Amino acid sequence: MRLEAHDISKSFGSSRVLDGLAISLEGGQMVCLLGRNGAGKTTLLRVLSGLLRPSAGEMRLDGEILDFADDHNRQAVGLVMHQPYLYEHLTGLENLRFYSRLYQTGLEQKELVSHLSRVGLGKSGQKPVRGYSRGMKQRLTLARALLHDPKILLLDEPYTGLDLSGSQLLNKLLLEEQEQGRLILATTHELTYAHQIAKRFDLLSRGKIAESIQNEDLPLQELEAWAARFLDSQPSKKAVPV
Amino acid sequence: MLSENKPLKLLFFLSVGLILAAFAMVLFYAPVEQTMGLVQKVFYFHMSAAWVGMLAFLVAAVCGVLYLAKKELVYDAAAFSAVEMGLLFTAIATFTGMIWAEPIWNTWWTWDPRLTTMTIMAFTYIAYLLLRRGIDEPVKRARFGAIYAIIGFASVPLTFFSSRLLRTIHPTIFGGNSGDMALTLQMYQTMAASLVAFTLLFAVLLWYRARLAGEQALLEALRAEQTEDEFGEVENG
Amino acid sequence: MKNWLHGIRTLVWKDLVQEWRSKDMLTAMFAFAILTLFIFNYAIELSPVNRAEIAAGIIWVVIVFAGTLGLNRSFTAEQDQGCFDALVMAVPDLSVIYLAKLLTNFLVMLFLTVLVIPVYSLLYNQSLFSLPLLGVLVLGAWGYAAAGTLIAGMTVQTRMRDLLLPILLFPILMPVNMAVVKAAGGILAGAAWQDYSLWVALLGVYGIIVTVISILVFEYVIRE
Repeated sequence: MRLEAHDISKSFGSSRVLDGLAISLEGGQMVCLLGRNGAGKTTLLRVLSGLLRPSAGEMRLDGEILDFADDHNRQAVGLVMHQPYLYEHLTGLENLRFYSRLYQTGLEQKELVSHLSRVGLGKSGQKPVRGYSRGMKQRLTLARALLHDPKILLLDEPYTGLDLSGSQLLNKLLLEEQEQGRLILATTHELTYAHQIAKRFDLLSRGKIAESIQNEDLPLQELEAWAARFLDSQPSKKAVPV
Repeated sequence: MLSENKPLKLLFFLSVGLILAAFAMVLFYAPVEQTMGLVQKVFYFHMSAAWVGMLAFLVAAVCGVLYLAKKELVYDAAAFSAVEMGLLFTAIATFTGMIWAEPIWNTWWTWDPRLTTMTIMAFTYIAYLLLRRGIDEPVKRARFGAIYAIIGFASVPLTFFSSRLLRTIHPTIFGGNSGDMALTLQMYQTMAASLVAFTLLFAVLLWYRARLAGEQALLEALRAEQTEDEFGEVENG
Repeated sequence: MKNWLHGIRTLVWKDLVQEWRSKDMLTAMFAFAILTLFIFNYAIELSPVNRAEIAAGIIWVVIVFAGTLGLNRSFTAEQDQGCFDALVMAVPDLSVIYLAKLLTNFLVMLFLTVLVIPVYSLLYNQSLFSLPLLGVLVLGAWGYAAAGTLIAGMTVQTRMRDLLLPILLFPILMPVNMAVVKAAGGILAGAAWQDYSLWVALLGVYGIIVTVISILVFEYVIRE
């Protein structure tokens, strides 16, 4: 399974955030996206998920053009962003059931419950989300994103707000998803955790993927040095006028 | 204020000339109306301003549709300018209407359909401008402005029909009982002249305003770029 | 089509459950409505002569103002929790979101109406239980919800939020205001159907036009 994007450009008004970007992702090979704040990581995720239409460029999934007007393709993506997408007065289980119905997954009660248990929310599933901690909400959001069995999983800074055990659980889950062949792209600043599971690191700078490094027997310090070189030495990012 | 743009400059002088000509016609050419007397002459400008007010709204709604279809900000600048100008002309129409109404019906305000619809339309304009002020992002501002211009314009005929159904003391000139104002040929001619003059003036003002709006948008964009400095240092406050 | 209905039903159910559990909005609206009725009592002298015509006006004014509380809240969950994105990715067409919100707001308005009428009847000792009256108010509620949902979808995303909603909504709601009060007033005064049928027709036309325009335009409220 392969997702390829070519020539992706996106401007907001007169500032071009993505500029002829190309990226390719493969199932089972998680990629971690690095870049400075404001570099366009979130924008790229929104474009890849179909929320934002690029000003130019095309995306292909397994060779076929990815057209998000198609139901099938919309269901192919699961997105985990900074905001939880949860309804506070519904319980964890009800939130899952709601999204499950929207996506028409046909999942039954016990399957929903097992989704909850998998993210460690088996017991809290019956309580309203209002009372959840940040970490619990994050885990529920992940469960929600995986509900409709998407081919592609996109995560924006997933480790934010998670404590040690939360981050470890997240890594465990992402590793499992990788093994099942899912396409995973995550943005993060937490190299320590990402280093444990990602197969490749891409660097987004000046609207393009500027650098890329494989994570094969790569020691953490080297990865950090590599990232530091590109993240700190870059001259000030000026928005390119259209 | 006078631009280097030749056609625009020409149009500006032409419109000023036409307004003066229409004014002269109103004062000297058009006869004094029998029942209402001298104050009736306000009517020419009143009706022209009201017509432009409506036209402006139509322009804004059309530009709204065009913007949503083509996503080019020039349509947004045009819509915004049309609304501002439209508000100005609608205010003129309301005040001249009041000046005209007082000596004739002995009241400053009448709950007459045309007047109420025009006033409600003015408030829709104001709402449009307030909506824009409440949005910082230019693209979102354009989008929402377009949507509101469209739905606002759609509501005007409905408002008019409703208030017409409600009550009527506004003299109906064309069709219906024209017993209120006796119109001669010269009056029709004067009215036509002032309609044309006002419409041209509106077009010129719209052009200038839209250009100004475009430049303001550019300035805003440049400012936004400035603040995006590497270490968050802001050079232009 | 079946997709649409399914999506709408799911969304409406979610909104109703959310609101029922929190009860914030419904209680506030109800309290606001009753308090406004009290204010009217001190503001307007109701003699048996003018009661019929004025009752219609008072009821509708109360509903219009209390309704804004509901409209303001209808999108806050989506806006604050970012759920817009999630819904956009899940539904087949963005109009589904509009229609679902429209239905929810409509039901809330109906709920408000059903509460206000008996309370008014009680406080002013004037029976307002009439099916035609209810019919007119239902049509009015639809027009209100149709315009209000579109506007609320926008204002919730602006800086001024709640403040902006009445300013944007009320001018375009005028036809509904006039039609409801005239038709309801006619009904309460015992007028014949022909006398107020045009107003009812106007309400119908307004409802259709605004709903259709909103369906066409709503996607631009949520996404670029």
